[in-house]
Amino acid sequence: MSSTLILILCGTALGVERFPPPDFESGYGLPQTTVPPARESVYEYADVAVLLAALSLSSYLVIRKRSRRAIFALMLFSLFYFGFWRKGCVCPIGAGQNIVLSVFDNGYAVPFVVVLVFLLPLVFTLFFGRTFCAAVCPLGAIQDLVVLKPITVPLWLESPLRLLAYLYLGAAVLLAATGSSFIICRYDPFVSFFRLSGNLNVVIIGACLLVTGVFVGRPYCRFLCPYGVILRQLSRVSKWRVTITPDDCINCRLCEDSCPFGAIRESTADWPRRDYNKSKTRLAILIILLPVLTLSGALATRAASGWLSRAHPTVRLADRIYLEESGKVADTTDASLAFRGSGRQIDELYTDASNIQSKIGLGSLILGVFIGLLIGLKLIKHSIRWHRVDYEAERASCLACGRCFDYCPREQIRLKKMEEGAKDSE
Amino acid sequence: MKTVNDDNSVDVRRASWSYQAALRSAVVGGVFSVIVLVLLVVNYLQIKVLDPLRAERLEMMKVKFIGESTSTELLSEIRQLDLDIRRDRIRRQVFSRRGGYLLLGGLAVFVIGLKWTATLRKRLPMPGAVGDKQARQVRAAAMARWSVTAGLGLFAVAALIIALAPQVDLVEDVAPSYPTEEEVNKNWAGFRGPGGAGISAYTNIPVKWDGKTGEGIIWKTKVPLRGHNSPVVWEGRVFVSGAKKGKRRVYCFDVLTGGLLWTGDVTGTVTSSSGAVDVMEDTGYAAPTVATDGRRVYAIFANGDVGCFDFDGKSIWSKSLGVPDSTYGYASSLAMYQNLLLIQYDQGMEEDAKSRMIAMDGFSGQVVWEVKRPVAGSWTSPVVAKVGGQYQLITCSDPWVIGYNPTTGAQLWQAECGGADVAPSPIYAGGLVFAVSPYEHIVAVRPDGQGNVTDTHVAWSAEDGIPDICSPVSNGRLVFLLHTAGTLTCYQCADGRMLWEKDLDTSFNASPSLVGNRIYLLSTKGVMFIAEVGAEYTEIARCELGEKTQASPAFADGRIYIRAGKNLYCIGKAD
Repeated sequence: MSSTLILILCGTALGVERFPPPDFESGYGLPQTTVPPARESVYEYADVAVLLAALSLSSYLVIRKRSRRAIFALMLFSLFYFGFWRKGCVCPIGAGQNIVLSVFDNGYAVPFVVVLVFLLPLVFTLFFGRTFCAAVCPLGAIQDLVVLKPITVPLWLESPLRLLAYLYLGAAVLLAATGSSFIICRYDPFVSFFRLSGNLNVVIIGACLLVTGVFVGRPYCRFLCPYGVILRQLSRVSKWRVTITPDDCINCRLCEDSCPFGAIRESTADWPRRDYNKSKTRLAILIILLPVLTLSGALATRAASGWLSRAHPTVRLADRIYLEESGKVADTTDASLAFRGSGRQIDELYTDASNIQSKIGLGSLILGVFIGLLIGLKLIKHSIRWHRVDYEAERASCLACGRCFDYCPREQIRLKKMEEGAKDSE
Repeated sequence: MKTVNDDNSVDVRRASWSYQAALRSAVVGGVFSVIVLVLLVVNYLQIKVLDPLRAERLEMMKVKFIGESTSTELLSEIRQLDLDIRRDRIRRQVFSRRGGYLLLGGLAVFVIGLKWTATLRKRLPMPGAVGDKQARQVRAAAMARWSVTAGLGLFAVAALIIALAPQVDLVEDVAPSYPTEEEVNKNWAGFRGPGGAGISAYTNIPVKWDGKTGEGIIWKTKVPLRGHNSPVVWEGRVFVSGAKKGKRRVYCFDVLTGGLLWTGDVTGTVTSSSGAVDVMEDTGYAAPTVATDGRRVYAIFANGDVGCFDFDGKSIWSKSLGVPDSTYGYASSLAMYQNLLLIQYDQGMEEDAKSRMIAMDGFSGQVVWEVKRPVAGSWTSPVVAKVGGQYQLITCSDPWVIGYNPTTGAQLWQAECGGADVAPSPIYAGGLVFAVSPYEHIVAVRPDGQGNVTDTHVAWSAEDGIPDICSPVSNGRLVFLLHTAGTLTCYQCADGRMLWEKDLDTSFNASPSLVGNRIYLLSTKGVMFIAEVGAEYTEIARCELGEKTQASPAFADGRIYIRAGKNLYCIGKAD
């Protein structure tokens, strides 16, 4: 708890506002504000090279070497390099927003480096599973460090919580596509720690996630990360993947509690006949209800689109100006003052805001369809009996951290540790 | 045989040097982090609580200094406090940054220690009984379905709550932020009314009154502070300003009763220079007429302080433009264009390059645009006129008459008019801009050119009956010039031919006004000359107010408002 407080205040204390300039009466002119030059592009490509190397090494360590220690060491390096050194930017999680915006806005060009940063982890996931999450992502690394006393999140809680990441992804795509906001970056919960400065609310969110992470492994990765949603789907079809056992599962159950992220699934039992029949009926009803859920989702998000559109700075500004003009607020904000000093007409601002609201309204419909469909499919998923004969790391959920390796006696045999241990005990 | 899970084995590991080192590292890291945290909290509170208090005190001292600008003791106290605040602020920022790094280091030691300790305490798993796997999995799936359904419900409720919140259609439901053209035209929103033309929108204006007997006087009310500015009328309110050295006020009166609704003090800002302005007696500290956009009223004074009040008298903002370098005292009235407050801030000599035109956002006082003017100081007021479907801001000074785009401040055209100490404001009528160079000439300029149009767009100029203070007035067919000495001269707009001249044998400072085909001329003695004007001057009436007047009158529906002496008069028939 104390660490949380420390982290909160660490961020806020450094995020203090700058002191206003003095009122010079002597005619002294304040020097012009200078902007530091942009980072050389060669360094950006160096970052991509480091990312590529880290992904390659992570994949090797996870799939071939099967060494938790080595994965942990690489994770620390990534935390330092991509987190504290590169200040958490540019990261694959947020890069998707740039790409979405470039698709919908002809005037926005996305740098090639950003495209590479976004795509490389996806390509690696397609071949090796979530090795990016394992040891390359700094957001995952900082959470992984604080996993001390993990508890198992029951399925009934985990299942709806996972929907949050899909919601977050949908909202992020919608807001990026409409040029409203890059919410993934804005609400990146850990970037404040990497930069030792940041918005108080975000610092608090980050600190809460870290405290939660002591007991619930990597909560952001599992329940919120929008990039994780994409990685989950790609990991399902990856060519190679993490396996708990290097060869055959002997159903010893030693690994069943080894994963702090709840990714290990036990073998399944047959359902009772009565439940099986009921589940068939339920499944049929849910499939019929799927279009209804989809439509309901669309209507719900459309109704809430006004609120969602406030993420766009123009809409927010128009709302603010409206409040000021109608006397509902007495003060002004920096943004409203800047607008009033710009010479732009308020009617023009209102029209712009209205157009943006219309766009977001349309996007909200699509988002609603996505959410409705998602919830329907989730319900259908829990109505289907899945067949599993082994204890295995679920393809989508497994973060490839390698914690489970050492728990498998077959792995111990592989490493001949079991034999050596037996000799020692004699 | 011992296994790695034996209690004894765990105890042995706990007693090992590595476990102890890890544990102690964690403790040391934790304690260190807490100490740094406490120091950072104290530092943070100082930034957030103590510094604002001192900053507030500093601001109060600065405000106090406005009234005691000669107090060197107060000045040095302000400087010292300002320095202290800055020094402490920078010190605390440095402290925060260093503390942040120390905290990070302490936390790193704390977390590594804990991880290490946890690793050494780790027990290998000992799975329990399997139980009824079948029932467990069926139950888990059922609970998951219910929880997802509950999530769906929460989502629906949240969407419903958001949807029920009141929403405003910014395009359909919101009133415009500035008055319509129709509203502006039916009110008297600034110096000489709509477009600064001096033309009444109403023809039911009284032609008979007597200030001595009270005949035709609806009310007469005292204006506490002196000022030569004209009344401004917007629906139920009449505004004037008044000032003396160190005191600047805006007054709002009720049109029905003449009662003072409110008084607004323009206190200025910390950079304003109240009390340090010398003006001529005839100009005074409040010569510029106020302006309104129907939502707020704006006033400017001789020291360059600008104030804005809402219609209930609440001060919205105030600015200080700096004391103008004006020989007789600043006198240019304010003008409005949509949401923009337009200030003609002419001063000094042409070569001083001090003159500028400023457009401020009415709501906030933010400067929207500001342009330098290549002119000397003047006492004219800017006018906003619709020229060929587009609005132009027209100014007259020494030596240029200039047309601007009022939205951007971009200069459209300029014509050389010459002259010095220019006081008559320009007007636009009959497709021409009429500008006066005192004692010299009047020029008629076609305002549809670009750049310097002196050689190309000056339709005509004339030299008879040229006024020195009063602005011209025109019905688009005839243009009338009123000299301070009492000569009224009539020219034909189209070709500049002088039609007639009338000597009224008295002096005038107020500019002439037109009501239909009647001209209203208010002399300095408070006598209003009312005449039919056309091919000749036909006097209808002379109405005496009984007090000396300087300011031009304001016209409303069936009423005239005149500021005379220390009083404000409302003339007409009581409702």
